[in-house]
Amino acid sequence: MPRAKPRAQVYDIDGRPSGRVVAPVDEQEVAEVLRAADAAGDAVVAVGGGTLLGAGNPPRHYEVALSTLRLDRVHAYDHRDLTIGVGTGLTVAQFSSALAAHRQFVPLDVPRAAIATVGGTLASGWLGPRRATYGRPRDLLIGTTTALADGTLAHAGGMVVKNVSGYDLSRLYVSSFGTLGVITRANFKTLPMPSAFRLTIARLPEGTRARAAANVQALEVEPTAALLIDGFRDVLPFELGPEGALLLAFEGSAAAIERATRSVRSALGSAGVPETRIIDTGAHETFARTLDAYIASVPGRSVTLRVLGLPDGALKRDAAARDAIAPTAALLDTILDLRCGDLIARIFVDGKLDALAVRGTLSDAVGALRAPLPEATVLARGLALEGEIDAWGTLPPAIGLMRDLKARFDPRGTLAPGRFLGGI
Amino acid sequence: MSVLGERLIEALGADAVHTAPEDLAVYAFDAYSEDRLPTAAVIPKDVREVTQVVRIAAECGEPIVARGAGTGLCGGAVPTHGGIVVSFARMNRILEIDTRNRRAKVQPGLINLDLSRATARDGLFYAPDPASQKVSSLGGNVATNAGGPHCLSYGTTTNHVLGLELVDHRGEVVSVHQDDSGYDLTGVLVGSEGTLGIVTSIDVRLMRLPEAVRVCMATFGDVESASEAVSQIIGAGIVPIALEIMDKVITGAVEAAFKAGFPEDAGAVLLVEIAGLADDMDASEAAIAKIARACGALTWRTARTQAERDILWAARKGAAGAIGRLAPNFYIQDCTVPRTKLPAVMRLVEEIVRDHRLQVGNVFHAGDGNLHPLLLFDRSKPRDVQAVIDAGSQILQTCIDYGGTISGEHGIGYEKRESLALLFSSEDLATMGRVRDVLDPARRFNPDKIFPSSAMCSEVRAAS
Repeated sequence: MPRAKPRAQVYDIDGRPSGRVVAPVDEQEVAEVLRAADAAGDAVVAVGGGTLLGAGNPPRHYEVALSTLRLDRVHAYDHRDLTIGVGTGLTVAQFSSALAAHRQFVPLDVPRAAIATVGGTLASGWLGPRRATYGRPRDLLIGTTTALADGTLAHAGGMVVKNVSGYDLSRLYVSSFGTLGVITRANFKTLPMPSAFRLTIARLPEGTRARAAANVQALEVEPTAALLIDGFRDVLPFELGPEGALLLAFEGSAAAIERATRSVRSALGSAGVPETRIIDTGAHETFARTLDAYIASVPGRSVTLRVLGLPDGALKRDAAARDAIAPTAALLDTILDLRCGDLIARIFVDGKLDALAVRGTLSDAVGALRAPLPEATVLARGLALEGEIDAWGTLPPAIGLMRDLKARFDPRGTLAPGRFLGGI
Repeated sequence: MSVLGERLIEALGADAVHTAPEDLAVYAFDAYSEDRLPTAAVIPKDVREVTQVVRIAAECGEPIVARGAGTGLCGGAVPTHGGIVVSFARMNRILEIDTRNRRAKVQPGLINLDLSRATARDGLFYAPDPASQKVSSLGGNVATNAGGPHCLSYGTTTNHVLGLELVDHRGEVVSVHQDDSGYDLTGVLVGSEGTLGIVTSIDVRLMRLPEAVRVCMATFGDVESASEAVSQIIGAGIVPIALEIMDKVITGAVEAAFKAGFPEDAGAVLLVEIAGLADDMDASEAAIAKIARACGALTWRTARTQAERDILWAARKGAAGAIGRLAPNFYIQDCTVPRTKLPAVMRLVEEIVRDHRLQVGNVFHAGDGNLHPLLLFDRSKPRDVQAVIDAGSQILQTCIDYGGTISGEHGIGYEKRESLALLFSSEDLATMGRVRDVLDPARRFNPDKIFPSSAMCSEVRAAS
């Protein structure tokens, strides 16, 4: 009995539709699709939930959308080993609930987890706010199976937590935007779930932002996530103060969390923040909604960029972004990660403008943002940018090697051509 | 003197180049074996000199082997093809410590432990801690993706290396960093055992020293019950920062050497380290002790002072050295299995060793499922040597049969390269070869390592 087709979804990238959509049921079929496309000169973009199709550039041509959604099996999970191997089309929510059944987790921290897939999370190089504590997705990945453009199925790593056997190619496929291969299976090490998860949310009154942020960065009991949020009122499930809000996550024993809460209240109190709200019940849901904001677009009017950086310079980065956008005709919402250092900047326009004018305004604003922050990369878009804005910021020093790798893995340019940086 | 020697001296100066056989002898071996002499050994002082060495090697058609402290256990630093050995003895400095962002930039010759010593005053440390950390270099650690007892909770070298500076096959300097957009070349270079280029600086992540640390020791009647305790601790969702087992053979030897207080009548000792907030220590210890007792722990002891903790760890990390008391030679195997398979695999290891009439000592990173049977033998007895080789391969095959891998943290090197084909198909190996094609097309960097000799054929097939 054939499995149900993946539900209707958008495969368009920057407004460009795909040719045909194929949904292979297993890795052999993925390999077969790639082999055939490679021979025919068709370009293939692997698509999971499609939540991050707004990141990266549109492909130069786009004959085949390869849906991974049928690769949704849990291949191996002995919870006592603290390892799991899954098909990459599994949604992050399904993945998390399989793990939660045994009080384990893999903190991928991806927006729209009900739709986003494990494979898309890996391929897009997604970075969530708890990585300073738990590591990046690539740090929890212990093995992969990947279909290459010529139909080769290549394995790397394995199902054990320590492994130096051959090149660690799994990491190469992570954050490659599907330009080297299509990851069909991913093995992770899992973590035991801490006994408690608490969010504290504080609305920031006028004049408290910088001091509150600095005090949070100096906390003795470190939050697993620390986000300074300003804007995104359309998506967030909590109120902001005049200078935004501070959302902190704490995980651990009840005793540890109580201690953390006391020190947060004291640290924020001394910064002039009168009230810190505690969320225990529904903390996971509130955290998930906050993650959704990272890629929440204003339909027809916004582009969201991520600027990576170090925690020490986070506030400066934030100020630089504000100063850069202020003179433009665009507005700015921000999420500043005080532990990891990255800035999420949603640039949008208000008022009645046609698409052309919106694109022009956004393009100017992105240019202004990139003057002080050239590394800013596009994470989401509310409209087709049609080449007005390159999704990638400054090219890395090793771009030459990256181009050579692409040529060696995908000589015919079958896999998402042009979607990655530098035209890769 | 060879043309190669002359050109190297011209570029680096006579004091940085060795070509006399008596000077080269120390570069012919690592902790695995001794092999042929290199044609030259060089000790560059900076990255510019490394680029010159790589260019000269390319022009003269000579292979290059990068060498840290030479503590590798799999022949990774042995110049099996001769050529040039590049020693990092002079590139051993900390270039930068960024305490606020918890990062450091170091040269590859820096000794692992020196980094944690230098950052301790700022409340920071570098987490991967191979037993060799007093002598092994960070460059070598990067090459082998080194582990250590504390990798259980903190991860291995690859989880702590953020970026690298590399001299590539053209002799050009390339920087790669996890924070850059693009392919994660850092992730591929870590663990590539010097086959993709010469690393000349390393950006690492530092961690905050935990507020509280507790080291406990449980004794068991045998290794199997200690292993079962480890499986159950992990299975209960408790991940201490270290879970290490030593069997009776090992504890006897280390007790003689270190006087750490290991009871001589116990069949196995389990070392448990927990760390974190002071508030959590009692509850964590109680939960672990309860499981240990349920699995048959005979005793449970908590180290009361820093000195007591230090001696327990010194004994654990000095275990391989202490084995010298028991036999003229030992061979240490390194493989990893899923943690639930640990008791069964330990039982089989014991059978294999018995069948080959060998003695074994087990000291291992039990929490990671990372086995280290030390096979004791006498190199002067041909029967012993053959038995060790046979038992070693049977242990590897057993680990593979149980879903494990053939190296957890020591690397493949020269020793295990033929065994890699037991784990990966020729397509898998050829895919790895594609990366090599780009980064080391002439196969000049550390030839004969990692890949089976037969893999070359399939690489050629795949390429054609």
